[in-house]
Amino acid sequence: MSVNLPGTALAVAAGLSAGAAAAALCAPDRIRVRLVGTLSALLGAAGAVAGGAALAGHTYAARLPDLFALSGVTLQVDALSGVFLAIAGAVVSATSIYGIGYASGPGRGRWAQALWPLFAFSLLLVPAAGSVSTLLVAWELMALCSLLLVVSGDPASGRVREAGVWYAVMTHLGLVAILTGLLWLGAAAHTETFAGLRIAAAGISPAVRGGVFVLLLIGFGSKAGMAPLHAWLPRAHPEAPSPVSALMSAAMVNLGIYGLVRFGLDLMGAGSRWWWLTTMTLGALSAVYGIVQAAVANDLKRLLAYSTVENLGLVLVGVGAAGVFQDSGHPALAVLALAAALLHTAAHAAFKTVLFLGAGSVLHATGTRDLDELGGLRTRMPVTTGVFALGALGAAALPGGAAFPSEWLLLQSLIHGLAVPGTLVVVVLPVTVGAIALSAGLAVATFVKALGTGFLAKARSRAAEQAHEARGSMRTGMGLAAAACAALAVLPGAAGPALARATACAVPGGGPRVSAGVARQLTALGSTLWPLMLVAVTLGALVLLRAGLALVSRRAGQRATAPLWDCGAPPLTARMEYTATSFAEPLQRVFDDVLAPESDLDVTPHAESAYLVERIAYSRAVPDRVEHRLYNPVVHTVRRAGLAARALADGSVHRYLGYGFGSVVILLLVLAAAR
Amino acid sequence: MLSLLRKIVSVGRVAEPAPPRPEPAAADPAQRIRTLRGSAQVRCVDAGSCNGCEIEIGQAFGPVYDAERYGARIVASPRHADVLLVTGPVTRNMAEPLRRTYQAAAQPRVVVAVGDCAIDCGEFAGAYGVEGAVADVVPVDLAVPGCPPAPDQIVAALRRVTGR
Repeated sequence: MSVNLPGTALAVAAGLSAGAAAAALCAPDRIRVRLVGTLSALLGAAGAVAGGAALAGHTYAARLPDLFALSGVTLQVDALSGVFLAIAGAVVSATSIYGIGYASGPGRGRWAQALWPLFAFSLLLVPAAGSVSTLLVAWELMALCSLLLVVSGDPASGRVREAGVWYAVMTHLGLVAILTGLLWLGAAAHTETFAGLRIAAAGISPAVRGGVFVLLLIGFGSKAGMAPLHAWLPRAHPEAPSPVSALMSAAMVNLGIYGLVRFGLDLMGAGSRWWWLTTMTLGALSAVYGIVQAAVANDLKRLLAYSTVENLGLVLVGVGAAGVFQDSGHPALAVLALAAALLHTAAHAAFKTVLFLGAGSVLHATGTRDLDELGGLRTRMPVTTGVFALGALGAAALPGGAAFPSEWLLLQSLIHGLAVPGTLVVVVLPVTVGAIALSAGLAVATFVKALGTGFLAKARSRAAEQAHEARGSMRTGMGLAAAACAALAVLPGAAGPALARATACAVPGGGPRVSAGVARQLTALGSTLWPLMLVAVTLGALVLLRAGLALVSRRAGQRATAPLWDCGAPPLTARMEYTATSFAEPLQRVFDDVLAPESDLDVTPHAESAYLVERIAYSRAVPDRVEHRLYNPVVHTVRRAGLAARALADGSVHRYLGYGFGSVVILLLVLAAAR
Repeated sequence: MLSLLRKIVSVGRVAEPAPPRPEPAAADPAQRIRTLRGSAQVRCVDAGSCNGCEIEIGQAFGPVYDAERYGARIVASPRHADVLLVTGPVTRNMAEPLRRTYQAAAQPRVVVAVGDCAIDCGEFAGAYGVEGAVADVVPVDLAVPGCPPAPDQIVAALRRVTGR
C-alpha cells in the first residue's frame, strides 16, 4: 500500500504542532521565538501540502477509536476540505514567519507562543474532521486558542479585555447553536459520521432539516461574520496581535463558510430554496454593511475587520446562489457560483493576510493604528507600503488585484442565474448583483483611503515621522502572502481543475462536463486579463530600461530639482492634507441614515462675553449601529437579570443547601409526573 | 445652444481694430524682453492692489481689446508662465509670496509692473503695511504707468513682450 499524502502530511502537522508547543514552553529564550516560528511555518507548509494533495484528487479517511473516549476521532479529507486546508496552511506559514520578527519584541510570553501552533493545527483539524464529534472538538479547540491569543495582546488593556469578553460570549453562543444543530441532525439520522449523514439526510423530514440549517446558519454564520452576528469581529480583530488577526481573518472565519458548504450543500443535499435565499440576503447585507462601516473607520485594523465582513458576505452570496441554483436544477450554475465563492475565499485569505501583516508592521513601527495619525510611511517603510498597496489593489477588486477574478465570476453566475424561475429569485438576484456592485465601489474608496491617508503624503504625527521598516522575517512573511496575491490575480485559470474537484464534492449533479466548463471559464477569464498584464509588463520594462539608461549615461546627477509649487504660501504642512476622517466625510454624509454617526460640538464661551468663543471641542464617532440597536438591549436585560439574581446568593451555606435540596425534590417530582 | 450660436453670429467681432505693431524688438532696451518672441504665458500677481488694475487687466483680455490676438495668454500657475503681471504696492504679507512666485516662473521671465502703485507705491507710499514698490522685491523689466492704466496701455506693453 502506497503512502497516503494528505494523511501523512496531517500526521506530520500534528507532530510539528506538538513539537512547536513544547519548544515554546521549554526552549531557552535565545532560540525560542525562531524555533517556534520555524516549526509553525513547517506545520503550515504540511497543511498546505495536505490541502494541495486533496485538491489534486487524493482522498483520506481514517478512524482513530482510541484517541478520544466514547466517540473516537474520525478524519476525512476530500477536495472540499482541501481548499480550506490549503488556505489555512498557507496563511499559517506566512504568518508564522512574520511572527518571528513580530514576537521578538516584548509582550509575548511563552504561553501565547505555545498556543500559536495549537491554534494553527486546530485550523487544519476542522476541515479534516470526518464526524460531528471530531468537528465539534476541533471547533472548540480553535475557539479557545483564538480567544486566548486575542487576549494575549495586552491583558492589562481594558479594550482587549472587553474584546475578549465579546468574542468569548459570541463564539460560544455560536458553538451552542452548532452543537444543538448537529446533535439534532445526528439524532435524526442515527449516525454521526459524515459518510453516514450524507446517506441518511435524505430520509429526514424537511422541518427537522430546516431547523438544523437555521441553527447551523446562526453558528457558522457568526464565525464567518454574517451581518447581524458580526459584532465580535470588529472588536476582536483590532485588539489581537497582528499575526493573530491575520490568521483569524484569513483562515479562521473561512471555516464558517466550510461548515455551511459541508453541511448545507454536501451532507443535507441543498435542502429547500428558502435556506439559500436567506443566506444570499444576509450575505448581501453583510457585504454592503461591512464595507460602509469600513469606509468610515479610522482605525486601520478595524477597517480591515469590517472589510472581512464584506468579503465573507460576498462568499456567502456565492454559497447561497449555489444552493438556489442547485435547488432549481441548474447544477452548472451552482458549480460556477460555488467555484466563485471558494476562489473568493482564497483571494480574500491572500490579500487579507498581506493587509493585516502590513497593518501589524505599521503598528509595530509607530505604535498607532489611527489613520488620522499616520501618513508619510512610504519613504520610511517602502517594502511595507509596496505590499500593502498590492493587498489594497486586491481588496478593491480592481483588475490586476487578487479579488477581481472571483468577484467577476460571482457576478457572471448571478447574471446568468436570472433565467431561474421563481418570484423571490427574480427579486433577490438583481438586488444582490446591485449590492455586490455597490460594495465593490465602496471597497475602492475604502482602500484608497487606507493606502492614501495611511502611507502616502506627509507624516501627521511624531510616531509616524519616526517609523522604521519592518524586520527581515516580517518582510519575508508579507512577501510570501503578496506573492500569493499576485499569483491569484494573474493566473486564476491555474486554480480551475482544483476548484472543479472541490465543487464536485458539494454539488453532486455537476459531473465532469460541468466541472470542465468551470475550468474553461477561469482560463478564459485569465486570458481576458492578458492585455492588462501585457501593458503592465511593457510599462515595467520601459521603466527599467529608462532607469538602466540613466545609470549608464550617468545623467541622474544632472536632474534639476525644484520645490513643489505651494501657491507662494509658507511650506505645505501635514495639517493641510486629507485625513482619513475628512476623506470619508462625504461617504459618511451619504450613508448618514445607515451609519447614524454621533458628532458632538462643544462650544465654551469666554467668561466675559457669550459672543467670544474660548474653546471648541469637536468629537465624532461612528458606532456600529447593529450593535447599538440589537445587542445593547440584550446585554442590558441580561445584566439586570444578573443583578436581580444576586440576591439569591447571599453567602449563607444553609440557604445553598436548601437550594440543592429544593432542586432535587422538584426534579424528582417532574420525573414522577412525566412517567 | 442654438440661441448661443445665433448670438455669436448676430454680434460678430467686437474687437477694436489692431493698432500698428510696436517698434522692432532690437530697439528694446531690456535684453530679456527680446527673448520672448511670438507668444507669452502671463500670470497675474496681485501684490496688494485696490483691484482697479485687475479690472483693467480683465478688460485687456476681454473681447474688445483681446490681448490674446497678440500672443499673450493668461495661465493659472507661475509654473506655466513666462510673464508676471504684478499690480499694487507690495504689502508685507505678499512680499515673500511674490518672491516665491518669481522663483517658480520658468526662465527667461519678464516682470511687468502694472499701475502707479506697482511702480512707486502711489497713494499708499509709506503706509505701515507696505513693503515697497515691485522693483524693491523682484527685478522689473517693464512698467505700465496709470491709476489705473487703460486696457490699451496694458495691451501695448504686452505687445512689446510678444513682439506682435
